[in-house]
Amino acid sequence: MNLFTQSVISGLMTGAVYTFLGIGLVLVYRTARILNLAHGETFAITGVAAALLAGAGLPLGAALGLAILISLAFATGLHRFVLRPRAEWPAGTLILITLGAAFVVRGVLILLAGTDPLSFPVMFEGPPVRFAGGAMPLQGIALVVLGFGVSAGVGIFLAATRAGKQLLAAAENPYAAELLGVNVERARITAYAIGGLLGALAGVLLIPLIAVDFQSGLAMTLRGFIAAAISGMSPVGVLFSGLGLGLFEAMVGAYLGALYQDPVMFCVLILVALWQSRNIRFGGSRRA
Amino acid sequence: MTPRHGAIAAALALAAALPYLQILPAWTTALATVTAFMALSLIGLNLIFGVGGMLALGQAAFVALPGYAAGLLIKFGVPTMLAIPAGVVAAIAIARLVAEIFVRLPGIYFAIGTLGFAFVVEGLARAFPAYTGGASGLVLDPPVSLGRDGWYALGVASLAAGILAFAFLVRGRFLRSLRLMRHDELAAQVLGIDVPRLKARVFTIGSAYSAVGGILLAYFVRVLAPESGGVNASLESLAMVIIGGSGSLFGPVLGAAGVQWLFAVSGGAAHYELLVYGLGFFLVVLFAPAGMAGAIRRAWSAATRSRPGEAAPAADSASQAAAGPGAELPARQRQGSGVCLEVERVAKHFGGLRAVDDVSFEVRFGQIVALIGPNGAGKSTLFNLVSGIEPLSGGRVRLAGRDIGDAPIHVRANDIGRSFQVPRLVGDMTTLDNVVLRFDHLSDRATEDEHRRRARAQLAAFGLAEFADRPVREIGIGYHKLIELARASAGDAPLLLLDEPAVGLTAEEVARLAAALQRLKSLGTAILVVEHNMDFVATIADEVVVMEGGRLIARGAPASVMADPGVQAAYFGALS
Repeated sequence: MNLFTQSVISGLMTGAVYTFLGIGLVLVYRTARILNLAHGETFAITGVAAALLAGAGLPLGAALGLAILISLAFATGLHRFVLRPRAEWPAGTLILITLGAAFVVRGVLILLAGTDPLSFPVMFEGPPVRFAGGAMPLQGIALVVLGFGVSAGVGIFLAATRAGKQLLAAAENPYAAELLGVNVERARITAYAIGGLLGALAGVLLIPLIAVDFQSGLAMTLRGFIAAAISGMSPVGVLFSGLGLGLFEAMVGAYLGALYQDPVMFCVLILVALWQSRNIRFGGSRRA
Repeated sequence: MTPRHGAIAAALALAAALPYLQILPAWTTALATVTAFMALSLIGLNLIFGVGGMLALGQAAFVALPGYAAGLLIKFGVPTMLAIPAGVVAAIAIARLVAEIFVRLPGIYFAIGTLGFAFVVEGLARAFPAYTGGASGLVLDPPVSLGRDGWYALGVASLAAGILAFAFLVRGRFLRSLRLMRHDELAAQVLGIDVPRLKARVFTIGSAYSAVGGILLAYFVRVLAPESGGVNASLESLAMVIIGGSGSLFGPVLGAAGVQWLFAVSGGAAHYELLVYGLGFFLVVLFAPAGMAGAIRRAWSAATRSRPGEAAPAADSASQAAAGPGAELPARQRQGSGVCLEVERVAKHFGGLRAVDDVSFEVRFGQIVALIGPNGAGKSTLFNLVSGIEPLSGGRVRLAGRDIGDAPIHVRANDIGRSFQVPRLVGDMTTLDNVVLRFDHLSDRATEDEHRRRARAQLAAFGLAEFADRPVREIGIGYHKLIELARASAGDAPLLLLDEPAVGLTAEEVARLAAALQRLKSLGTAILVVEHNMDFVATIADEVVVMEGGRLIARGAPASVMADPGVQAAYFGALS
């Protein structure tokens, strides 16, 4: 087995996941001016729900569909019932609320699922595809193909549909968009829904390959944020930064060891922070 | 001693004796000791997050770090009594480093950066069992044996010292600065606060609390597990601070004691623990942001409200009557003469857009210059260039002959007072405190009392004395512009930048404003005003500068500029 090919394969898969997560974070950040720290929970909720439902005897398709719906309900419900009524609160407090929501999800998941990792069967069964000394499970191929396909789909949605254009306008400048008659509220709920859906898709596709536990959510939020920050919070750029980050992390895991992944990712975050600070020569912090 | 202080002292004495009274089930000496050390470390998070408003999501990392650092040093043969302080110092130094990396960016970077750091500390602790004991934890042997009561005494004493130090530190100038920074970072910088430096300082002090409390706790329980420095522990710390009452003096103690006791008395919450923390966190943030401390405060004031005689805190009344308009104001210096602000060929480009293009003019001491022009002419950008909020793309800005083009906002603030289109006052603070903030950060070193006295005189000079001790949010919006003007001109900065001071004011308020500006002018202050109200401009301005499309199109005495056909076309044409 060729280590390099294999890490490219696993990098493509994690990269697709980071892209999925990054898009949701960026869209919500740009439309609602909030860093949604509960975003990664969509991944964890979907995974745990799918594993429990499938374990309870539900057909896999039904379990996955239901799990995706739960995640979608969580993401949009968080906005509609918790954040939207408090839109006038300071941004810091709203971020704190999303953290509280993530915290509650952790508490619920540990009650439902305990501390052990869970998983569920893959959707796409069959022998892995072998090439160039590496092996890629069918599920992984589906993940990567869907990762690019759905990302492209989101790109087309943003660029070509009315709702997408409104969302981008709202992301560019919510106040100006409001003045121009864009329904900012609808843009926001769409952003949360896309985020919830993509987080859930990432969970459905990746978790059969790696498993999930009650505390996967914030780790995913962290990775998604790093991808988003590298792209400068750009909904298109994050497609590439997510992929690059996944590949880089896989290489670190393959050549240095999995133990180094967290510290190295933190170093990446430091580099991003230093890079983003480069223009701030005025001793001031940048206005958020 | 007020009844409130008496009640607090009695409650504290009772709390300290509680484990020995055996009236509270499950509240043993050991639990009380753990709680005391935990509360000590949480005071730090309360300072950073509760008072400073910084989202430190990984604070448990700095609770566990000193123990690991000390353990590592001991492994390499350093004596324990030396390794412990060295571990604390190392943790504080690392906290400072983390702060320096993230404080210049928007707060979300700080949030994610500190969260990521907790992942790193927990991950490393698991990854190198040879040095950290791995998943089963690092065993620590206390250098001296204290016994049960000895440890408890140490816990109570260190917590008491920590609370006293907090109460001593977090007040006056430091507290005001933190509240302003938390409320509005830009306003903080314009008043002369070096925001990143203040944030780094707050995070360092807070992390020192975390480190000291953390290492004491680690040596008391004699083992340090990786998860104690991780994300869950960090979230639990935040939850305890929030539940106890973030930002309040006793919040960390109440939160730690309440939560720890709850788990002890319910007999090992096991898997429910995280959900209880999470729900407590979530619900308090949503519905009771003041936490337990707030509830106690409300209950206390409800119980004492009927009692007469306890008036609101009496104002430092000595100077109450002192000032009529213009009385005893110029504390700093009589302003100079000649040119104060010199804007020379200044430019600002945003990509291809020339927001300000080759603009030159000057403002002399004792002169009021009005900057007018249609919307989008570049007036606000020019203000931002002068006050340092935007860097120059070209040209020079000189203040009394000195080039200030490279000076950061908070440094320029010493010489520039600025007001905003929408006043940026702290609503929860009194009018007086809002103005004292300006004196706080001017480079003279007068005492707190002196600053309060000057601020009161400043308010009196603007006819605002009656509002001094009321929170700004209770005062009509119409006065906010005047309060901000009083704040901007406090301390007699040589240059005032006023952004649409007359907008939204009644005729009477405009007259009051004009009088205030004339008075400042007579003291020698150079004043640059952006204004749309032409009557107001014609009344007060000595000179008018007209901008359109980023360029200066006319300059001169108000009457002649307004008669200029080019100006009329640009300005009134754009209006119609």
